[in-house]
Amino acid sequence: MSIVSKETIEVIAQSIGIVNLSADVALALAPDVEYRMREVMQEAIKCMRHSKRTVLTTDDVDIALNLRNVEPIYGFTSGGPLRFKRAVGHKNLFYIDDKDLDFKDVIEAPLPKAPLDTAVVCHWLAIEGVQPAIPENAPVEVIAAPSDGKKFEQKDDGLPVDIKLPIKHVLSRELQLYFDKIIDLTVNRSDSALFKEALVSLATDSGLHPLVPYFTYFISDEVSRGLNDFNLLFALMRVVWSLLQNPHIHIEPYLHQLMPSVVTCLVAKRIGNRLADNHWELRDFTANLVASICKRFGHVYNNLQTRLTKTLLHAFLDPKRSMTQHYGAIQGLAALGPNMVRLLIVPNLEPYLRLLEPEMLLEKQKNEIKRHEAWCVYGALLRATGQSIYDRLKMFPALPSPPARVFRTNGRVVTSPPNKRKANNEHLEQQPSLKKIATDGPMDVVPTNLSSNMQPPETKGPVPSTDPDMGPSSSSRQIPHGSISDSRDRKGKGDSRAMKMSAVLTQTWRDDLKSGHLLVSLFELFGESILPFIPAPEMSLFL
Amino acid sequence: MEEEEIEKAVIAYLKKKGFKQTELAFQEEHHQHQNQQTKNSSSSISSSTDPDIAKHILSFSESENIPARYHEGYSKLRSWTYSSLDLYKHELLRVLYPVFIHCFMDLVAKGHIQEARNFFNSFREDHEMMHLRDLQKLEGVLSPSHLEEMEFAHSLRQSKVNIKICQYSYELLLQYLHKTQSITMLGVINEHINFQVSPGQPASISDDAEVVTLIGSSQDDANQINQKEIHWGLLEGSLEERLEKAGGLLSDSEKAEGEVKETDTEENKKRSAEGGKQGSSIKKLKKDKVVGAAGKTARPEANAVSMAPRVKPELALPVMPTEVEQSILEDLRNRVQLSSMALPSVSFYTFINTHNSLNCSSISHDGSLVAGGFSDSSLKVWDMSKLGQQSATSIMQGDNDLAPTEQILGTSGGKRSYTLFQGHSGPVYSATFSPLGDFILSSSADSTIRLWSTKLNANLVCYKGHNYPVWDVQFSPLGHYFASSSHDRTARIWSMDRIQPLRIMAGHLSDVDCVQWHINCNYIATGSSDKTVRLWDVQSGECVRIFIGHRSMVLSLAMSPDGQYMASGDEDGTIMMWDLSSGRCVMPLMGHMSCVWSLAFSCEGSLLASGSADSTVKLWDVTTSTKVPRSEENKSGNTSRLRSLKTLPTKSTPVYSLRFSRRNLLFAAGALSKSG
Repeated sequence: MSIVSKETIEVIAQSIGIVNLSADVALALAPDVEYRMREVMQEAIKCMRHSKRTVLTTDDVDIALNLRNVEPIYGFTSGGPLRFKRAVGHKNLFYIDDKDLDFKDVIEAPLPKAPLDTAVVCHWLAIEGVQPAIPENAPVEVIAAPSDGKKFEQKDDGLPVDIKLPIKHVLSRELQLYFDKIIDLTVNRSDSALFKEALVSLATDSGLHPLVPYFTYFISDEVSRGLNDFNLLFALMRVVWSLLQNPHIHIEPYLHQLMPSVVTCLVAKRIGNRLADNHWELRDFTANLVASICKRFGHVYNNLQTRLTKTLLHAFLDPKRSMTQHYGAIQGLAALGPNMVRLLIVPNLEPYLRLLEPEMLLEKQKNEIKRHEAWCVYGALLRATGQSIYDRLKMFPALPSPPARVFRTNGRVVTSPPNKRKANNEHLEQQPSLKKIATDGPMDVVPTNLSSNMQPPETKGPVPSTDPDMGPSSSSRQIPHGSISDSRDRKGKGDSRAMKMSAVLTQTWRDDLKSGHLLVSLFELFGESILPFIPAPEMSLFL
Repeated sequence: MEEEEIEKAVIAYLKKKGFKQTELAFQEEHHQHQNQQTKNSSSSISSSTDPDIAKHILSFSESENIPARYHEGYSKLRSWTYSSLDLYKHELLRVLYPVFIHCFMDLVAKGHIQEARNFFNSFREDHEMMHLRDLQKLEGVLSPSHLEEMEFAHSLRQSKVNIKICQYSYELLLQYLHKTQSITMLGVINEHINFQVSPGQPASISDDAEVVTLIGSSQDDANQINQKEIHWGLLEGSLEERLEKAGGLLSDSEKAEGEVKETDTEENKKRSAEGGKQGSSIKKLKKDKVVGAAGKTARPEANAVSMAPRVKPELALPVMPTEVEQSILEDLRNRVQLSSMALPSVSFYTFINTHNSLNCSSISHDGSLVAGGFSDSSLKVWDMSKLGQQSATSIMQGDNDLAPTEQILGTSGGKRSYTLFQGHSGPVYSATFSPLGDFILSSSADSTIRLWSTKLNANLVCYKGHNYPVWDVQFSPLGHYFASSSHDRTARIWSMDRIQPLRIMAGHLSDVDCVQWHINCNYIATGSSDKTVRLWDVQSGECVRIFIGHRSMVLSLAMSPDGQYMASGDEDGTIMMWDLSSGRCVMPLMGHMSCVWSLAFSCEGSLLASGSADSTVKLWDVTTSTKVPRSEENKSGNTSRLRSLKTLPTKSTPVYSLRFSRRNLLFAAGALSKSG
């Protein structure tokens, strides 16, 4: 029952050379030994408390023995708490691992460094009751959410070297293996079926949170290093996508690290070093990725979207940037929603197209690749603006049917030819991007085709036969038709002035008019290719 | 039954149970009684008026005395109690614990060691939650001699436990004991429990702690002591009082105000020492001051202080130099008003590279000096004002090789950033700065207290008087006098100019772990391992209050600035707020997970700060805790549980000491511990 048994006493007696200890003595000694031990421990605990510690050390026991006028036990002093080991095969037997040391080794070993001297450092724990977020204070997140990726911040701590950081990040063996496997798949075999499985796992598995800081670091690292490797970049973006999908991951704190690499993939000058690399597709994918990030975290990071749009707009408006960058920027903005397009792209559309135009012409741009790029950008622009105008028109309140009916026949007659042509245009436009992926061979043919076909609607845009019909028809329904004809003559600036003028017009018609103008100006810029984006009933309204 | 027979039976019973003292006392008394031929014969069962009980005891003495009876009797009583009516259950449960420990001690006393062990282990779980530490102590009792030797067990045997119980519960218990003929239990209960039967409804559960605590001295004594009169008011002619008068004068004349501002800026320069940190708060202070000057009548602090009664000092108090007085007045005038809405700024001093050897720390009143007591017998003092420049000067020394002269002039080594005080021959357990910061006292395991001068950097006096390690030493609020507490179970009052103690306060049943002066210097409070806090009159050396309620050793004490309340923190992390005049606990404050090393009231008494081994500083709102329950007469003050305002976690740094500067900036200190 008791801790110290009769047998223990006997064993101890034997160990100090008393062989013939009578059983009675052992029996009497056992309880007393236990009592004395408890007494000493009680005193030792007091000493521990007064040393303001919560862990008992050998020093405490020595002081307690001193208090009882007992010789302290020498040879057990240690700076910290003792490490006990469990004896193999015994449940309640512990011992201190005491290694044999060779005197020679000890003597020959270089002198250990002198321990650093005690010092006092001062910091603000709180200022008027609020804890400042400085490295000396416990991170507030520790309490708020058990986020474990503090290691990056801690590295930057300006603390003296001798302070060991208290939070050590420990990854389990399984997670390490998992991480290595994913990395391997991403880097080397991103086209395998296994990688697809891995992406699914990343998007669904719980318990991956400890790995998030490593993934973000890995992604940003690889993107900055491997801009030439198209497959790798695409794989990385897919990993980001999957991580974003995972409901168990709290990725928000790492966004600031992820975003630069993602945006890089969107608007980088060159992605991949071979022509066969379909970087357009990657840019499209990344644009969607960016948009989804904005949608999810826009409310948390207030400046996320503004910063992003600023970056993209900057890339879009800088004429020195390459076509690929423009394309990425346009796609990115388009993915952020039609409003973005209307606010940021459309006002700049006119001057931009003027710049773009020569790039698209065979005569002026001899480099096929460049020309192709220009056409891609043109397609992207068309898609973006078309989508925005479609969205805009869709929002219109249901119009009274009679006027629509009145114009229906007329509209049909008028619109059918452009529709066909549009289909053609559209087709041709989509084609290069699609075809180019497959082969570079037909490149020769397609651009020439395009330039010959597309040129008329663009250059002579305002002139074609359908146009005069349309112009009057729409202006007949709208009040400021003068401005439209004006704008036709004076193009860009007049156009915007017309917009302003129309904005001054009656409030009730404002929205309607604006989009009417928008449509018209778009039509001027793109020709009929914009038309298929306009829903039929609304279209009829303007015809 | 014949009188004679009963007496014989009683004597036989006492002999059997080994109560020699009681037996002797009984026989003595018996002789007296024989002379007087009075009827009243049974002194050991004075509380029982029931003749039936006497009968039971008689039959008990005749019957065989088997350990199994205890076991059986207790387990029956236990199961009965647990199945009793809910309303009365908690009252009856209180009876179980004293019965349990006394059954155990009875068994030990009779030599049934093994059976006692069995008994103890089979029921200890019931009481572990409430009385874990007591049980751990009792567990070690293995022979009758231990019972005599161990202070705790001895005092338990000597005294009776008081249990408040309502009429009906009492009847229920008696009924049960009679019906089941469990004489053993009845015996134990009669011997060791004193029931205070109160009519009416059972008391609420919340009173539990107070009722069940087993202390050496009886509750009656404590109550009696707590009846004594104490004067908790502030000192007459204190600086605060003078400030109020001076404040009136000052605001009258603009010129004086201007002067104040000048001195203020000087003060600022002096104080930029504190890491330039108080600077910011001083700005605030200035604003505050302007506000205060404009509408000084509205100052809550002034009102609160003036409310407190004034008392005359019992000691001859030291006279303060006028320039020091001026600077303190200055500080008081510039104090930030703290409240639950305006929390203090906390400056934290972290000791690094202590290698687990820092035992205590102390901060001077202005926060410019920090002392650390180490287990290697050294005391180190850092001057925080030099902290910033220190690295620069050391580089300078290296370059220009001015070292020789510097070192001679310098403290005790060129490179050190601190002043090293060596002299103790055992771990330093406590250090305290004099109010003016020119002296430090340190206490050590070598049972001495040493006085050091921070100006001369030398040991001035060694005070020998304690026989065992001195756990704590504290300067009085006005300096000159100091109090110490020791493992020898005494607290002592000293003055700086005498090497012998002026008073010895004896009465605690275990180590006196901490000591604190009352704000008016007429009392000291001591916290002990016997789980009580006592208040002593400095002049007479008498114990004037016993505060019972802690469940583990008391580690820290703090007195409110109005002298009315006291806070004490214990090993479990509980803080208790006491009303000095009534001797009752106003409110227990739960929240800390581990030992509360340090407590401090803000200067106007609206906030309490506590520092703990769980690496947090907590701020508590005192105003809600103290004022409201008082009006409610301490009855179920759950509605206004003392609010924890803020928890400030540190980076794995247990908080060793706290100090509010006179301007209400809170300083905290602790050693960074790697193992956490």
